[in-house]
Amino acid sequence: MPSTAEAGAVAGSPEQRSLRTVAICGAPNVGKSTFFNRLTGLHQKVANYPGITVEKRIGRIELPNGEHVELLDLPGIVGLHPRSEDERISVDVLKGDSPMTGRPSAAILLLDSTNLQAQLRLVPGILGFGLPTLVVLNMSDDLEARGGSVDVEAVAKQVGAPVAAVSARLGTGMETVLRFLEGATAPPQRVELPVLNNIPAEQRWATGVTRQARYHPPEPSLWGRRLDKVFLHPVAGPLIFLAVVVAVFQSIFTVAVPLMDGVEGFIGLTAGWLGTLLPDSMLKGLLLDGVWGGVGSVVVFLPQILILFLFIGILEDSGYLARAAVIADRSMRAVGLEGRSFIPLMSSYACAVPAIMAARTIENQRDRMATIFIAPLTTCSARLPVYALLIAAFIPERPILGPFLGTRAAVLLGMYAVGFVAACATAWLLKSTVLKSSPIPFMLQLPPYRWPTIRSLSFRLFDRARVFLRRAGTVILVTTIVLWFLASVPYVDGQPPEIGDSLAGAIGKTIEPLVEPLGLNWKIGIGLITSMAAREVIVGTLGTIYGMEADEDSPDLQEALRSDLSYGSAIALLMYFAFAMQCMSTVAVVRRETGGWKWPIAQFAYMLALAYGTGFAAYRIFG
Amino acid sequence: MKIKTLSDLNPGTTALIGELDMDESDSVRLMELGFIPGAPVSCQRRVPLGDLAVYQLDGTQIAVRRETASRIRIRSVQATGTADA
Repeated sequence: MPSTAEAGAVAGSPEQRSLRTVAICGAPNVGKSTFFNRLTGLHQKVANYPGITVEKRIGRIELPNGEHVELLDLPGIVGLHPRSEDERISVDVLKGDSPMTGRPSAAILLLDSTNLQAQLRLVPGILGFGLPTLVVLNMSDDLEARGGSVDVEAVAKQVGAPVAAVSARLGTGMETVLRFLEGATAPPQRVELPVLNNIPAEQRWATGVTRQARYHPPEPSLWGRRLDKVFLHPVAGPLIFLAVVVAVFQSIFTVAVPLMDGVEGFIGLTAGWLGTLLPDSMLKGLLLDGVWGGVGSVVVFLPQILILFLFIGILEDSGYLARAAVIADRSMRAVGLEGRSFIPLMSSYACAVPAIMAARTIENQRDRMATIFIAPLTTCSARLPVYALLIAAFIPERPILGPFLGTRAAVLLGMYAVGFVAACATAWLLKSTVLKSSPIPFMLQLPPYRWPTIRSLSFRLFDRARVFLRRAGTVILVTTIVLWFLASVPYVDGQPPEIGDSLAGAIGKTIEPLVEPLGLNWKIGIGLITSMAAREVIVGTLGTIYGMEADEDSPDLQEALRSDLSYGSAIALLMYFAFAMQCMSTVAVVRRETGGWKWPIAQFAYMLALAYGTGFAAYRIFG
Repeated sequence: MKIKTLSDLNPGTTALIGELDMDESDSVRLMELGFIPGAPVSCQRRVPLGDLAVYQLDGTQIAVRRETASRIRIRSVQATGTADA
């Protein structure tokens, strides 16, 4: 084990011994995330919510010489003239203009070695930033397997920077990368690079390098052509697209249900076990009903969210998602958006937060704003528990299409349709008024098809689970405790008050006139307030208020709702949850992504008006 | 004679990229993606229902809308016989 003194000697002057940051950059789809995960393993953190690769991902690793280095996974860049928000982040970091990171001390440029003629064009620009740079020729396994070859030494000589042939997927060639990170790579001879900002000259230079390095491009993948022939087929293409979307949603309901029952059973079991352990006291009520029940009612949805992200992960890693965006372009265009908006909108069915962040990849700023604006209208997974509770309470189960579709499933599908139609109509409205834009060139790179690896899929799911559980452990925990407290004071004669006499009850009764036009009472009013934090909170809240267990299958809570709400007011409540922006995380992420309060306020007001208006209408119509 | 553009290129034919008829920021992005004057480009297929077509440049496949393709001039059109459409 080398001493830190030696490590310091390698790194140079004493001030450099503080943690060095190395930025990993490259074009989209060259395997940056795989490379980053390969180096850092689970020692990484994602600043806030992770998108696909649009978030700032940082990992810290210990090198073989004992020194620690911080790695920064940058979003993909096509060139040095950024057009989308995520490209701008990458270029700013490399230039040293980013306030978030400061100037990194070195860079690793990842290139796809199966397409070197085009990929090398990025080299002069990146080296032009003046950082010590390692050029990694990734996917070397793929290159060899398809009969291609390249002389790595010759590339290094031509570009004037150290070069390593690597397969991040298999983990080969990583020793060279580690040596570079240790600072042990001798600086190579400087060479003359083409003038910057002259792309034709950069291409001529890149072609020259491939010639000198006797680069043989791999045989074009026959499979890729065959798959494109099917996936982009005039008839089969759109049908497969529809089948994929339906299969994803179907599995959220079918595959996830037994898993969710498992989680629910576990929470119920542990609650019972905790109940026998704790002495009867006010604290017991808080711990069992407030904390365990409240957080538990949300954690139940973890399997559903993970399954949705698993599917999105498979679709993206395999390369199909880009083809889906091509197929979707036509319909997105009908509402004034482009195919690229399809990807964030698809993930917003899981959660609007990562979807809004994924909108960073949209080049047209007005399209990006419209996508951010409509994302919370699509039916995210947090609405499911609310829908499930209300539908179970108010819609009798009757078969419509034999065993395939019952009334309850049909109403649920209807709720998804309502959100979808509202999102499309809103996009069209925005794009034909305030966000009108002249069409800018639309082009989308189609990455080669690749098998998704278990490794990279598990990384994604691990990330998502961590983020979701953190949220359940913070926002939801806090609102549950606060509500429980408000519902338990003031004490009357040393006894906790009836819910109607409590502080929470007083607040509910104050706002009752506001919710009355929708046919709702003060108890639901309290739920509407607490669910401002997150929609699913209302299930726990109503459970607490009606003095029962927070369990959406509980017949008692359903019974209580049926005696308190009319059919029309239940529909009104469903409409309210379909449209209202009941989610603090979404408001916060929109503020951050749009750089101010203007958009989130407009969005909140718009969605509230829509929610209140449709709720009012539903109550009037259905009574 | 009408000037030929990328949108005239049929599946299974190859040509060389000519001038890019658009403002600079758009043309820079297209060049960064590989639409560089003098580079060979082939049309792989037209996409169903829409006005997108998929083009092949070196090892890169890119889908482009017709209105964009019609601003990219081409020359020396040749049949390649490798289209699937």
